[in-house]
Amino acid sequence: MSLPASLGCALVLLFAAASFADHEPVIVDSPGNPLVSFRFVFHTGSANDPVGKEGLNALTAAMISEGGTRELSLVQVIEKLYPLAAGVGAQTEKEITTIVGAVHRDFLEDFYAIFQDLLLHPRFDPEDFERNRNQLLNYLSKSLRGSDDEELGKALLEAMLYREHPFRHTPQGTVAGLQSITLDDVKAFYRDHYTFASLRIGLAGDLPPGFAERVQKDLRQDLPEGQETPPELPRPSPAGGMEVWIAEKAADSTAISLGFPYQVTRSDPDFYPLLVANTYLGDHRSFHGVLMNNLRGKRGLNYGDYSYIEKFVQDGGSTFPLPNTTRHQQFFSIWLRPVVPANAHFALRAALWELRKLVEQGISEEDFQATRNYLLHYSKLWVQNLDRRLGYHMDSRFYGTDDYYIDEIERRLRSLTAEEVNRAVKKHLDRWDFRVAMVASSAGDLAAALRENRVSPVTYQTPGTPPEVLEEDKKIERFELPVREVRVIPVEELFEK
Amino acid sequence: MWRTFLIAMSLAGPASPASSTTGAPTDAVFPYPIDQKELANGLRLVGVHFDSPGLLSYYTIVRVGSRHEVEPGRSGFAHFFEHMMFRGTEKYDEEEYNDVLASMGADSNANTSFDRTRYHILASSSALPKIVDIESDRFQNLKYSEEQFQKEAGAVLGEYNANASNPVQALQVEMYQTALQVHPYRHLVIGFLEDIQTMPTLYDYSLEFFDRFYRPEYTTILVVGDFDWEELTRLVEEAYGQWKRGSYAGKIPTEPPQTEPKEVKLEWPAPTLPYLMIAYRAPAFNTESAEMPTLDVLSQLAFGETSALHKELVIEKQWVDFIGAGAFDQADPTLYTILTRVRQPEKLGEVRDAILAQVDRLHTERFDEERLSATKSHMKYQFLMGMDTADAVADTLSHYLALTGDPQTVNRVYQLYDAVTPETLNQVARQYLRSETRTMVTLEPAASVKGEE
Repeated sequence: MSLPASLGCALVLLFAAASFADHEPVIVDSPGNPLVSFRFVFHTGSANDPVGKEGLNALTAAMISEGGTRELSLVQVIEKLYPLAAGVGAQTEKEITTIVGAVHRDFLEDFYAIFQDLLLHPRFDPEDFERNRNQLLNYLSKSLRGSDDEELGKALLEAMLYREHPFRHTPQGTVAGLQSITLDDVKAFYRDHYTFASLRIGLAGDLPPGFAERVQKDLRQDLPEGQETPPELPRPSPAGGMEVWIAEKAADSTAISLGFPYQVTRSDPDFYPLLVANTYLGDHRSFHGVLMNNLRGKRGLNYGDYSYIEKFVQDGGSTFPLPNTTRHQQFFSIWLRPVVPANAHFALRAALWELRKLVEQGISEEDFQATRNYLLHYSKLWVQNLDRRLGYHMDSRFYGTDDYYIDEIERRLRSLTAEEVNRAVKKHLDRWDFRVAMVASSAGDLAAALRENRVSPVTYQTPGTPPEVLEEDKKIERFELPVREVRVIPVEELFEK
Repeated sequence: MWRTFLIAMSLAGPASPASSTTGAPTDAVFPYPIDQKELANGLRLVGVHFDSPGLLSYYTIVRVGSRHEVEPGRSGFAHFFEHMMFRGTEKYDEEEYNDVLASMGADSNANTSFDRTRYHILASSSALPKIVDIESDRFQNLKYSEEQFQKEAGAVLGEYNANASNPVQALQVEMYQTALQVHPYRHLVIGFLEDIQTMPTLYDYSLEFFDRFYRPEYTTILVVGDFDWEELTRLVEEAYGQWKRGSYAGKIPTEPPQTEPKEVKLEWPAPTLPYLMIAYRAPAFNTESAEMPTLDVLSQLAFGETSALHKELVIEKQWVDFIGAGAFDQADPTLYTILTRVRQPEKLGEVRDAILAQVDRLHTERFDEERLSATKSHMKYQFLMGMDTADAVADTLSHYLALTGDPQTVNRVYQLYDAVTPETLNQVARQYLRSETRTMVTLEPAASVKGEE
């Protein structure tokens, strides 16, 4: 087996149309690269789910990626793809759904024949339908409710941010919605939403001559022309104060996520100063964020504390953001990994204390320079492989930015100043109307403490806290939060409808 | 193999002393040229030239893991110590160390497993001298206060709590401590909760731990990506050449054979589908014999996505929503584990019977050559497709370096996969998948949990 040592080699980006026309494929050309990536982004997501049929988009996507074709049953598809070690998957989000494929160049034609067939001629087998529906139901009713408090907290937060809004339910839907869906619903949704009009084609690798044109022709020929079906996205209603929902379940520790919706996306110039501010405050899974250092490093409250200026999904075991999670409306959030119950109230206060310091004092010139320099280098690491590079190119098309995201960061950060960062922070993060999602057992005491703004002294698991930290703790434990409402919800009621 | 779906296992042999370069042998699965060298103090250096212009991945692999936690009350200490490695030195205190990493825009972290602890930095090639500087410094001159030590214990408890809501962690805790009696593998890498809670009192022990294991003869440096081997060698010799060998020789207890089946039932206090985990005693990782590689292939054939059992239980009857099996590559004998989640709770007994019947059939039933060949192809291409970045290559190779010290181990393993036959599959099943070495753990929701069922 001989392979050119060319993975990750210098890539040449070719847009088939210089005009950046929406429907021309995005192609990331990589001569000699042994891998080929497909990203077919459909502009349909859970926000397109009809009321009462929440989960319809996810189930339709699953019937493409986890169903058979007209000619081949699912078992036959799996058997054919298995020796190739090729992957097919569907990544569902609120506004977009990405059908992804990856294969070694040795098998490109064999793979493509099946991959396009899965998309163009789904089998819609009733048994596959039941199995896929049950997978989604179990994810909501068992995995989220009972097996992963961190993800539960994040999903609850989004439900709180988007009440009365098409983003309200998870991309997987709701229990009642999934239960009400029929196979005919799926077929109709596929016909109306998985159309050529809603498709953006992305291909990456050392593609044979004419391959991209062939893919485009195949899809244009066999998908309904259709039309785009963007959901109506009203502005989320303001909370008018801090709202806390506590999902009550058996839990040894307390998971916390908090945030608020806003309108900043990567197409907004303010996104880039906020990117610097956020990296300074709570860069995902790194050791230099303010939240990480002050909550975990100095106080040992938990395993990690981070903040986000847009929807963030970690890509597998890496620390990098998953591409193709784009949205036209975004939210700011803070994620505190589980803390011992006695410190939940304190941890919430401490996180907001740090945010207020950023809002009120701003970032210093020295910290600004260091953070900007870090980001200029670090963002290059997000696109080490072909597939992620392709994903970010697709994202840039979604947002209509001039450059591809990584280049956009480079260009905008080069000319940025600390003043601009601090101005953007004041404009967008100077908020008190947080929604706070918590996952806790015996939630009643916590709820009462939050409602009454009780003093919440920290209980250290360990001795040895420096005096200056203890001094600051005295202020944090009394830090007044404008709590407007606290609700305790049995976990069994979440994601129900 | 089998490193992806079980959580909590990874938290986050002497080589030739002469310097040598090897291209890929013609039948080798690993396609990139490798350089290697051993310093006089026993430190090993391995370089892999990978086309990632301007980028490199720098791994420091220390052969200490939960396997070495032989003293009572010290479970989880290798992992805890991994956290302490980020707490600074006299030259670079904690904050300065992080500032240096930030100034290079590096991605950096570490993780601990059964047999090794691994530290990694992904950064610009131009940062290599600085990386060697900060890494050689902390591995030789780590210095932290008792207060820092105690705070980090809180973060480790937080890490335990972050996974505590996952029933698979509970299953694993129960499985390993039931199946094994004396070997340190009987506790998870994160350690027993009660030991984590006493960690803050063990400052002096932590100094001893560093003195024992953070030594050149336990350590391999692996660099993958865009770098110059001569420059790397020079930098490493200058920075690590004075590092002194240690003298610690720990004795790791040998696990006695299991002679009768064991069974445990767990209750889960939150909504969940039932889980079933069935384990058999399995051999240590070893490329002198084909046992472990044969078990890897067997896992694919018997429990993988094209297996008859997957087809029956996941796709047709839909009694379970997931099934998989495998053994971790470990330095000492370990467990071969089958895990499934039962979608129709009333079918738990029938699922168990179907799995056990499948295991029995593996003793005699021949897999056909065509399926075997498809499996070998799958494993090879999965491997090749996974190595798409310098970091991914380093991750893969460091796994084998930790086990044997020899980068060619990866090629040897894939040669052994190629040599598996229908007959050797039966032999290995008869040898290891025997009912007297079986341990079964089931996890079901407690009666008090309101459910859908």
